[in-house]
Amino acid sequence: MNYFDLFALPHSFSLDLSQLSSAFQALQKTAHPDKFAHASAQEQLLAVQKSATINDAYQTLKNPLKRAEYILLERDTDMPSEQASFQDNFFLMHQMELHEMLEELSTADDVDSAVDQARETLDTEFQTLFIQLEQLLQTHSNEADTKACEVVRKLKFYQKLQLELERIEEQLFDD
Amino acid sequence: MALLQIAEPGQSTVPHEHRLAAGIDLGTTNSLIASVKSGLAETLLDDNNRDILPSVVSYQADAIVVGDDAKAFAVSDAENTIISAKRLIGRSLNDIEQKYPNLPYQFVGNENHPNIQTRQGEINPVQVSSEILKSLAKRAEHALGGELTGVVITVPAYFDDAQRQSTKDAAKLAGIEVLRLLNEPTAAAVAYGLDSLSSADQKNSNEGVIAVYDLGGGTFDISILRLNKGVFEVLATGGDSALGGDDFDLLVVDYLVKNLGEEAGLVRPLSPSLERQLLQQACFAKEQLTTQSSVEVKLSLPNNNSFTTTITKEHFDQLIKPLVSKTLRACRRALKDAQITTDEIIEVVMVGGSTRVPLVRSEVENYFKRTPLTSIDPDKVVAIGAAIQADILAGNKPDSDILLLDVIPLSLGIETMGGLVEKIIPRNTTIPVAKAQEFTTFKDGQTAMAIHVLQGERELVDDCRSLARFELRGIPPMTAGAAHIRVTFKVDADGLLKVTAMEKSSKVAAYIEVKPAFGLEESQITQMLTDSMSNAEQDMQARMLKEQQVEAKRVLESVQSALAADGDLLTEEVRNNIAKGLFNLVDVTQKSAESVTGIKDIEEAIAQVDKLTAHFAELRMDSSIRQALAGHSVDEI
Repeated sequence: MNYFDLFALPHSFSLDLSQLSSAFQALQKTAHPDKFAHASAQEQLLAVQKSATINDAYQTLKNPLKRAEYILLERDTDMPSEQASFQDNFFLMHQMELHEMLEELSTADDVDSAVDQARETLDTEFQTLFIQLEQLLQTHSNEADTKACEVVRKLKFYQKLQLELERIEEQLFDD
Repeated sequence: MALLQIAEPGQSTVPHEHRLAAGIDLGTTNSLIASVKSGLAETLLDDNNRDILPSVVSYQADAIVVGDDAKAFAVSDAENTIISAKRLIGRSLNDIEQKYPNLPYQFVGNENHPNIQTRQGEINPVQVSSEILKSLAKRAEHALGGELTGVVITVPAYFDDAQRQSTKDAAKLAGIEVLRLLNEPTAAAVAYGLDSLSSADQKNSNEGVIAVYDLGGGTFDISILRLNKGVFEVLATGGDSALGGDDFDLLVVDYLVKNLGEEAGLVRPLSPSLERQLLQQACFAKEQLTTQSSVEVKLSLPNNNSFTTTITKEHFDQLIKPLVSKTLRACRRALKDAQITTDEIIEVVMVGGSTRVPLVRSEVENYFKRTPLTSIDPDKVVAIGAAIQADILAGNKPDSDILLLDVIPLSLGIETMGGLVEKIIPRNTTIPVAKAQEFTTFKDGQTAMAIHVLQGERELVDDCRSLARFELRGIPPMTAGAAHIRVTFKVDADGLLKVTAMEKSSKVAAYIEVKPAFGLEESQITQMLTDSMSNAEQDMQARMLKEQQVEAKRVLESVQSALAADGDLLTEEVRNNIAKGLFNLVDVTQKSAESVTGIKDIEEAIAQVDKLTAHFAELRMDSSIRQALAGHSVDEI
């Protein structure tokens, strides 16, 4: 079943998250295995399956990048595989610079402000791309959808950098 | 069960049957059992009016002794008296020896199945836990005046798959039906959620984010939950399944041995009984220091010597400070995972006896910048929450609005080339969950694939917990990278994992119910069950028959109430066929006690009903899901 239909939500990238969350909770109140703990084995199994689907649907729609991918998949957009080579050399070069920026954090004179600055850089660039993605997904054309795929891939690079920054931060400020 | 009764639509066929259910807090140091009696959850007492059962089992020559009676043997017969078995459950020998080098037991068995040598033979930690469960269940059946339908057993949120599975195995050995394994902090949140958090004097108090800080005897958990109209959604959980009040004791013992050892004649290796005595004194000191500024520790040494020394609160605090800081680091990570800041936390709940230590309280208060809630006895709160949930799961509260959405504490993944772990389900994913990932072959013509299931956060296989290994064989020979092997992970509502693997083009499948490498094998459990019965073969048969009869009753009840509620979704023909299936099930169940093939007959009749109602069950589920949202959008307008 389509995830948007499951939650009775419009098929749209912009989503009211509180509406999503209350629809999710309403569904789990009927399908969760706890509601079937005294029922037959068959019903228990069915409840686990349904409940797992609802959980997966919720996680997919809650996370903006996963939601974008889901929409693109729904529109039958041809998505390049994760391993396919990336064409945008300028973007790749810039990614390497950002990596270096993160690597140098631990040796910065003022670690705190360097971390803050790095975070701001990543957040700003992520936001710029994210706005692009929103616009592309609203266009509803094959061309725009193909471009949107590329933007999603780029955003994933940023997501990895953000995770990396978190890891570095944890190391720097632990103990 | 002569005639099938059909109730009013929407009503249960058995409206007034109250099923006896209980919640068990199977703790490292102490265990409790609680139940809901006339709407109120309370702990159940033994014949001497005690509710706390020390988690101690002593294997004496003529009997297995549990609780306070076993504790009496702790020093005099340390090797045969197992305390804190929860710290050993689901762990490898290597793991145990590294973490607790001075245990007074003789370990036997192999690396993955460590047993303790007692005078009653080799005993597995699962068996020790099962004795504690048995004792509690007996107490409950006595107190409630009937047989238990099922129990909810609590486990630390940070328990891994092996530890959870072993806990469930312990219940199986004890002959107890487990309705659910429930995470301890979630149970505590339920206990508080129905009490102080929803009380009228606190504005908006039943909505918002709370933190549960649970420091027990052997484990530490931190859970961050969002409460909203009866839904307890765990946003993140963290902790350490080998950090608790016991570790405070160990630090004190190590301090005594290292600093006063020569003076007092305490040089390791010490006798098991002396190690045990040291631990008891350390624990005593810890407890005294919650209210006193210093405590005198006395040890009776061999040759009628004795030794006395003083420990101050400052010194004790200094010893345990690093461990308390470690718990706060776990809190910080859990908050980060939940994407919540300390300012957003409306309440901090303290659970577990070790939260009585003043330094723990003050540090938690400092960190969260608010006074933690301690209004429910930290020793009882988990059992009380478990009892509330057990009452609901048993079906005694069909209109209950409570829903617990819990998560897995540690990521699950499989080994890929180069000893790396590919995560399939990340930590803090809401359960139940099913996730699949595709892998491919490494060499041309490869026909088999080893699948190594791991749990943990680190990148390298060696740093993660190995849960199980299995092989997918019979992959058609193809060029490297051409095969598509789909590995599916399913985690149920108890947090237990099942893994399947399938090659897509040939549909060659391998299936494994991940029985962790460090637990008991199914055959061992059956063997232990048989061993425990006086008339093994017959008793085992009787037990299996009873299990099938119970399941038959469940099937009857649930299909009947389904027909009563939604029978109009079906054609008359289908309804008649289902009715025939039910009559057959009633018939074989009635005859099963006299028939040699009774167990098998019921199994077959249930399978037949399942087949007849499979589509109906699915229809009902989908229709109730649609209704849930229809009602929901009306609410919102």
